[in-house]
Amino acid sequence: MGIEQAWLIPFYGFVAFGVLALFRTFLPGQGKLLAVLAVVAGFVTFWPVLFDFLDRGVGEYHIAREWFTAGELSVGWGTIVDPLSIVMLALVTFVSVAVQVYSLGYMRHADGRRHRDDPRIGWYFAAHSLFTASMLTIVLADNLLVLYVAWELVGLCSYLLIGYWYERPSAAEAAKKAFITTRLGDVGLLIGILLLVAETGNATGTATFDTGTILELVTAGVLDSTIVTASAFLIFLGAMGKSAQFPLHVWLPDAMEGPTPVSALIHAATMVTAGVFLVARLFPLYEAVQSAQLTIAIVGIVTALMGASMALVATDLKRILAFSTMSHLGFMMLALGAGGFTAAIFHLLMHGVAKAMLFLSAGSIMHSMNDETDIRKMGGLRKRMPVTATAFTIGALALAGVPPLSAFWSKDEMLLAVQGGLNPIFLVLFLVAIVLSALYMARAIRIVFFGPLDRDNARVHESPAIMSWPLIVLGVLSLAIGFIALPLGGGFDGIGSFLFEASHGPHEFEFSVLWSLVGIVLAGGGLVAGWVLYAGPRERVDRIRERAGGLHRLLAERYYLDPIYQFVIDRVVLAMGRILAVFDRRFVNDVGVNGPGIAIVETGKRLRYHVTGLFADYGAAMAGGVALIALLMWLRS
Amino acid sequence: MTPELGLVHFQVLAAALFCLGLYGVLARRSVVMILMSVELMLNAVNLNLVAFGAFRGEATVVGQVIVVFVITVAAAEVGLALAIIMRLYRGRGSVNVDDIDLLKG
Repeated sequence: MGIEQAWLIPFYGFVAFGVLALFRTFLPGQGKLLAVLAVVAGFVTFWPVLFDFLDRGVGEYHIAREWFTAGELSVGWGTIVDPLSIVMLALVTFVSVAVQVYSLGYMRHADGRRHRDDPRIGWYFAAHSLFTASMLTIVLADNLLVLYVAWELVGLCSYLLIGYWYERPSAAEAAKKAFITTRLGDVGLLIGILLLVAETGNATGTATFDTGTILELVTAGVLDSTIVTASAFLIFLGAMGKSAQFPLHVWLPDAMEGPTPVSALIHAATMVTAGVFLVARLFPLYEAVQSAQLTIAIVGIVTALMGASMALVATDLKRILAFSTMSHLGFMMLALGAGGFTAAIFHLLMHGVAKAMLFLSAGSIMHSMNDETDIRKMGGLRKRMPVTATAFTIGALALAGVPPLSAFWSKDEMLLAVQGGLNPIFLVLFLVAIVLSALYMARAIRIVFFGPLDRDNARVHESPAIMSWPLIVLGVLSLAIGFIALPLGGGFDGIGSFLFEASHGPHEFEFSVLWSLVGIVLAGGGLVAGWVLYAGPRERVDRIRERAGGLHRLLAERYYLDPIYQFVIDRVVLAMGRILAVFDRRFVNDVGVNGPGIAIVETGKRLRYHVTGLFADYGAAMAGGVALIALLMWLRS
Repeated sequence: MTPELGLVHFQVLAAALFCLGLYGVLARRSVVMILMSVELMLNAVNLNLVAFGAFRGEATVVGQVIVVFVITVAAAEVGLALAIIMRLYRGRGSVNVDDIDLLKG
């Protein structure tokens, strides 16, 4: 077993999906354990791949396999094993295992005095398996075609799982919204990919989907620069959709309608990072197109500020976390835009672990509070749910950037990258966003876990062990994982140089005392401010809210983007649709389709009078015809 | 001087006979009459064939042999046709061609 067998890691998930999709009704527990087994198998297979990769020396290994050849075009299903995909594999397989195990507990609902599985549990696990497999395929794919297929598959799984409780109209709506919004970006992605591929055909004579070859050609400057620029922007559009970047972020808060483990895996740790991953995978493309890189940075910082500010006023626990996810994805994009490839991927990893844990903690609260997500009805839960409270606090502090927890390290690196690569304005805005993220995390912890326990919540209790254990494991990991930023010996010089060595990023890690101090002060300040504010009497908060009434409404209404989009859809898209529908009905249908039919019917009506049905007429026509032929022959001879 | 009997006379006779048959086929309604007219046309053709055979001036009798065949086949055909007509009459009570319109759309 080695890196040649890396394809096995996603393979198990596809098999599990196939078996569960077809035979789940015949399997005990609808085959849920089979699905868990498949992700565990993926996680186990990851380790020999990692060790083989380290044995061979860090680098980029491309294992090519042919899929099909059509004329000149040859498409493979090979894999790329490089530091980027190794990091992603580690994150996806690990979080998948944690979330799947957690789901075993979460998807059992109290039914009277007994607990029983959700009625469609098999389908839940089937979609989960398909998602994990597709996500791993995105990570490993060595060509853009396979990547695109897997990209759409994760979108599909996201749709299926957000709409898992489709009996609830809000869940069905949210699923559609997520699918269609990301679809808008995916159209750009597809066009971008096809443009690039066609241009490789023009430039070299053979079109190729192979990512490595395309990037080499881009770097060598062989391809037409206009097309490269256009496709860089179009591909980023796809990344914006999946990674919930402004202005395509509107689906993410609504996606919280899905089961909470789904939010943890798909809408926090993995799928939403696919956009960041895509930009990182195609990083040479963005290095070649400066304007696109700047756009990424701008979109990133706007998203980060927008998400953080909306998280400040949200009252739904899962939505707070969703806005926080959005904000952190913005950070990653900003770092990528600044050229900080390594910093962005490092933060992706840190954020993935911590945010998965936060969502699982939120799920744990919901599980024991009858799916309550309104933080105003919580409070004092720390006494009732010590494990959940500890895990949530660790995750929140980690993401706020408290040393030595995970995101402290990555935030430092992102600050360095932004300082080195972009205008100081970005740096200032970034610092503001860091303060905001500490503030909303402090608010969430303070309101949910501290203060007096609400009398209605007296029966709340800690979740079962199968849900607590993933939390504990993720919590310990969040505490420790940040240290991979440092050289730990054994040939490991820290995650920065691990990622840096084989990839193209201009930025290796260096520990900056200045920026870590700035980070600590800002994060600490934000946390303390949030704590003091929300620990005080409610009236004080209410007074502030009243004084900034307009701003509060703006944030609570999510910048009015949803009504604006609805307006555009109703008044512009549907109006154009109506015009086109008239054209379709009057011209395409009435003239184009019905026209020939009517013409034939009318001709037939006129022609049918020669068919008298009288024997004598037919005979005369026959004789006359023969006579005519004879006459013609006679004339010709 | 009486004109010599030539090929043309036979052909004119045959053509006249044929036209008579054709008229009968077109003008008559009764299937029996039409059948008889068809026979007339067949015999016009036979006459032509025999005449050509005789006037070619060769020692072969191909024309005459074909005519024998045609007569045989025509006899068989008439037998079959009359049988059909009889069934038709029993079934529909009419031998008028314009009443036999089962295939009309």
